[in-house]
Amino acid sequence: MKQAKYGLLLFIFLILPPVANLLESIMIFHMHTQMPLFVFAGFLMTPFYHKKFPSFFMKWNHSGIPGILLVILIWSYWQIPRAMDDALAHSYVEIFKFISLPFLVGIPLRDSWRKIRNHGQFIFLIYLFATLIVTGFLYIWVDEQICNNYLIIEQQTLGWGSLAMAACLLLYLVYRQFENDEEV
Amino acid sequence: MTNHERIAVVVIILFGLAVFLVGTDGFQAFTTEQARTNQLIKEQPQVPNVVLEDSKSRTYSMEELQQNKYLFITFMYTNCATVCPQLERNMQEVYQQLPVSMIKNDIQFLSISFDTEHDDPETLEKYRSYFDSDGETWRMARINEQQALDKLLDQLGVIVIPDDYGNFQHNTAFYLVDRDGYLIDVMDYTEIDQAVERIKSVIGGDSA
Repeated sequence: MKQAKYGLLLFIFLILPPVANLLESIMIFHMHTQMPLFVFAGFLMTPFYHKKFPSFFMKWNHSGIPGILLVILIWSYWQIPRAMDDALAHSYVEIFKFISLPFLVGIPLRDSWRKIRNHGQFIFLIYLFATLIVTGFLYIWVDEQICNNYLIIEQQTLGWGSLAMAACLLLYLVYRQFENDEEV
Repeated sequence: MTNHERIAVVVIILFGLAVFLVGTDGFQAFTTEQARTNQLIKEQPQVPNVVLEDSKSRTYSMEELQQNKYLFITFMYTNCATVCPQLERNMQEVYQQLPVSMIKNDIQFLSISFDTEHDDPETLEKYRSYFDSDGETWRMARINEQQALDKLLDQLGVIVIPDDYGNFQHNTAFYLVDRDGYLIDVMDYTEIDQAVERIKSVIGGDSA
């Protein structure tokens, strides 16, 4: 239950207006710090909901597939350049961000992770890798301003950040494969 | 998968679809810029009748300049090293591809600087010559009254963010205004031929 408390604390900390404003003022923090931290807060809160509603997860997310599908759809939405702008311009989109990332990405991701097993996990990591590569190249090579609220230089910083993360993820994917091979 | 899970999958897909539909105006706009442009073309706002000061230090209102012609507008600042020269060069292309009679009778070209402080008439006069603008059928001007400038930029959805180095980050497009002063199109400034065709068809439809 300690985890759940930390998760809740992290969540509350992140939605405090000064904290949210600070993280959102810099593009790369918005995308690569704030959004993943929200997901992480959901991660930490998952055991609490498991205890509270054990049958809900068993019944609706037995195989982990519905959960991971929800994760992919919502996470993909937040990759759209406009989503980030809208979160800054409209408070209802910002509230949707605060709720959707921990509760519709963080929690189902942790709940599904074991259930989808090695193959499912591999597919999900490939998806994550692909989104990082696509947004990375998009932000670096498109000269136009994609997000109206940020400068192009910030956009490019974000692009390189995405590619750096993609590189790390690739290393992990390779490592994972070797590890699996040895287990066999 | 159990039956419950099948239901869950359907609900999740529908929900995801709804999020995307709402978030992108029905898959129409994936960037704010696109959304803004679509919105402008739909709304066709009236262009505020602001007072301009051109490169020859003449002052007149937008309406006085327009005189029942179409307006072809771009927004720029002369210190800009990146996109503005390209924008103005493309504007020059459009200008040169249109028939002379149209330039004379039907459409007025106008480049508006939003760097009011720096872009005085002398600077604009010099900048004008780089693009073979004649200063008459294609004028370059600034808007001295900050409030009027802000209103115009706001009305046409031009977002200008000053950075720390005296430059501005801004969105770029061709703006087409009809004879009555209403915005009718916001065009991609890299699609010169498309812009020429669009102008020709609008003006052609008028005289026919």
